[in-house]
Amino acid sequence: MPLELFKTPHLKFMKFKYAALAFTLLIMLAGAVNIFFGKGLHLGVDFGGGTLIRVTFKDQIPVSSIRDSLKKVGLGNSTIQETGKGGHEFMIRTMQVIQTASAQEELEAHAKLADRVIAALKDNDGQAETQRGLVDLNGIDRAGLATLLDSAFPGEGAALAARVLETRNAEDLVLTGTSRIPGVLADWSDLQNNGVRPDVIKVLQDKTYLGKLAILSRETVGPQAGADLRKKATLAVIWSLIGMLIYIAVRFKLAYGVSAILTLTQDVLLSLAIFSFTNREINLPVIAALLTIVGYSINDTIVTFDRVRENLKIMRKDSLETVMNTSINQMLGRTVITTGTVFLTVLALFLFGGQVINDFAFVMLIGSIEGVYSTVFLSCPVVLFWQRLFPPKRGFRK
Amino acid sequence: MKKGLRWKILLTLAVLAISLIVAYPIQKKIKLGLDLKGGMHLVLQVLSEDAVTMETDQEILRLQELFKKNNITVSGIAKDAPGKFTIQGFNPDQEGQVKDQLDQYLRDWEYSFTGTSVKVSYKTAAMTAIKDSAVEQSVETIRNRVDQFGVAEPIIQRYGREQLIVELPGVDNPERVQNIIKTAALLEWKLVRSGPAPDEATLLKDYAGKVPDDMEIVQVSPKARAIEGGSHFLLNRVATVTGKDLRMVRRTVDEWNNPAVSFGLKADGARRFEALTGENIGRRLAIVLDGKVQSAPVINARIGDQGVIQGHFTIEDATDLVIVLKAGALPAGIKTLENRTIGPSLGADSVRSGLLAGLIAVLSVMVFMVVYYKLSGVNAIVALLLNLVIMFGALSYFRATLTLPGIAGIILGIGMAVDANVLIFERIREESALGKSILNSISLGFSRAFSAIFDSNLTTIISAVFLFQFGTGPIKGYAITLIISLVANLFTAVFVSHLIFDVTHGKNTKKLSI
Repeated sequence: MPLELFKTPHLKFMKFKYAALAFTLLIMLAGAVNIFFGKGLHLGVDFGGGTLIRVTFKDQIPVSSIRDSLKKVGLGNSTIQETGKGGHEFMIRTMQVIQTASAQEELEAHAKLADRVIAALKDNDGQAETQRGLVDLNGIDRAGLATLLDSAFPGEGAALAARVLETRNAEDLVLTGTSRIPGVLADWSDLQNNGVRPDVIKVLQDKTYLGKLAILSRETVGPQAGADLRKKATLAVIWSLIGMLIYIAVRFKLAYGVSAILTLTQDVLLSLAIFSFTNREINLPVIAALLTIVGYSINDTIVTFDRVRENLKIMRKDSLETVMNTSINQMLGRTVITTGTVFLTVLALFLFGGQVINDFAFVMLIGSIEGVYSTVFLSCPVVLFWQRLFPPKRGFRK
Repeated sequence: MKKGLRWKILLTLAVLAISLIVAYPIQKKIKLGLDLKGGMHLVLQVLSEDAVTMETDQEILRLQELFKKNNITVSGIAKDAPGKFTIQGFNPDQEGQVKDQLDQYLRDWEYSFTGTSVKVSYKTAAMTAIKDSAVEQSVETIRNRVDQFGVAEPIIQRYGREQLIVELPGVDNPERVQNIIKTAALLEWKLVRSGPAPDEATLLKDYAGKVPDDMEIVQVSPKARAIEGGSHFLLNRVATVTGKDLRMVRRTVDEWNNPAVSFGLKADGARRFEALTGENIGRRLAIVLDGKVQSAPVINARIGDQGVIQGHFTIEDATDLVIVLKAGALPAGIKTLENRTIGPSLGADSVRSGLLAGLIAVLSVMVFMVVYYKLSGVNAIVALLLNLVIMFGALSYFRATLTLPGIAGIILGIGMAVDANVLIFERIREESALGKSILNSISLGFSRAFSAIFDSNLTTIISAVFLFQFGTGPIKGYAITLIISLVANLFTAVFVSHLIFDVTHGKNTKKLSI
């Protein structure tokens, strides 16, 4: 016997069509109220402009202490987010709005703001060393380190620099196998334990010092570019929705196309509402995630419509509503299984995918569940409502 | 074995082989995006209006000379805006002559006479052409500079009318690179008329407090102030020699072993340089870079076609100056709209996490498929793996860049591939439950599930194509992997999976493991 999660059930989904519609409207309304009058939608640096810095400290540091150092330079209202790695890695987004005469000045002001944030975090770290002419090994670039090492080891500089920087970025050390914080050198012994030659370490100790932090990334988006990205993303989404509407309208009927698009719109709006409630920021990867949800949801919806199309030919005597209900039930097993596997995939991403992809995975998690809901409870009823509003001339079934 | 089957198997193996060959070795063939590899992403705007302004200034100077030569007197020529100027107060008797000059020499301009003044403005087409060529030239100049600096696989491309996208993989010193890209690099040699002095007033003592027409005041670059002994110079307005006259530049050291830049001049420039230095021994000659005096050495002797620029540089400064001088000056100002620098460790972290998550995802899906669909699940796994191989083959073939959102596209693709299999298997189960024979159930399962698979894949492909068309970088990366994956899906989940059933199930098959 096949292993089955579902014997084809006979649940009366269509009975809940009004309840489902009301529920959806309620959540969307709450979301809209929250977006427009409450917490609002946080645009990330991609769309809102500003500066985002990812930084890793060689020693553990509490968020409060970072906030304190930022407060000292008047940037206490920046968003600080710890990103895994047990108190070493942080994401800092400056929220200060700078009003300047021109867009260019604003971008430069933001870039300077990033410098100010970094200076505040360093907090006089390494000043004495810099005065003695030492450079920060945690801040030096590849070319700089190569030049520095080349003077002591002519011809070998580039290769040695590569080895040192590889150690700086390593997750665990070759010789001892100990795990470490990638991106920053905490101790000279790390170099030794990763097989860097002792004479090289000696030269580095003479000429460099280990600063307390390393900048993993810094992104500055000017207001003009932010607006441009916003416009492009919106256009892309709208055009792709229109494309889908046309295809479904041609392959099925206009009512199905309209329903698919409405279902999708509700998927996106609902996700946005949840974003607003959870204070997450909207960035380019999040848009990609929203589109992925739209992709899955349209997939679910079409599979159901496909069954409706087929059953309409078989169940000639039944009402459209009954045909729809049967179709949803027949496809329920498949919907749950598919969503289950997707959910597994996304859960892996959410748990192990790393910080950068975390927001993306979060949207996918809620979206995959929500997509099932919208397919089961919304897509068919909307077709029903639409056909009641605009009865087709032929082939209409109550 | 049926004859048709043999061809299908061959086709499948061929696709598999080609994909493997194209994608091997994978580390070299798949290009990682900046978000995964680390590097710098810049969106720049060329202020092409600068080029128009420059052109207008030159045109005015030319016109002044022409009028002088032809004894046409005007009270002045004033610039109103970039690409617009007014000739004021000409002698009404000379109106015809003025017209002749304008017709003959200012073909790209249009003019209108009102009383004794003429309003002159650029023709729209000519102005667009100047702006356009300024952007093109900027792309070329920046490409040269980046090449000289030594970045592997840089991308420098036009984006819209006057924006540029610059992507520099592996660059980890954003400030230095940005300086190299944005420096105008306008190098001029100008004779010093007075100075150095701590302020403008001191300079202008001999000139009744007013800057004479043929001179200008130029500030000394902050680094050179102490050594030059002042912050302002009064210089000739016209440069005798400029960066355009350079034949070669090289990093060198001066007599005190400080980094400096040596240069050689082309024949024409060398002649002018020789005349200038020969006539002005004992005076100072200022070297001006982007409107700042770098140094103003005293001319000790007539200098021919070679010399040294001292600017109290660091080694990096000198290296970068050589780079920008070699590549030439930018025709217009550059403004940064977007600047993202991703460190190599963050990119590596994303790749590591992405791989781990992907692996766990694929494995858990595989386990589920085998537990739920038994041997047929194995069939689905084969199709899924083939899909991934085709994906990487296609990515290599199209030289597409794999980005973080691109990984998301692959995951959506995996989801849809599994879904196609689930649809088919569920359908086979349904048909089988209705009492159909094994072979019949398989055949019906595939044919009846096909319309749903086809429609859902095609709908998503359509939306992905629009995303590719209208989206920016990361969204494009998402769209491309998604499209590849879905097209591959129609082949693997439908064609190949069916083939495997056909090969493994014959007339004698007693049991369907699903």
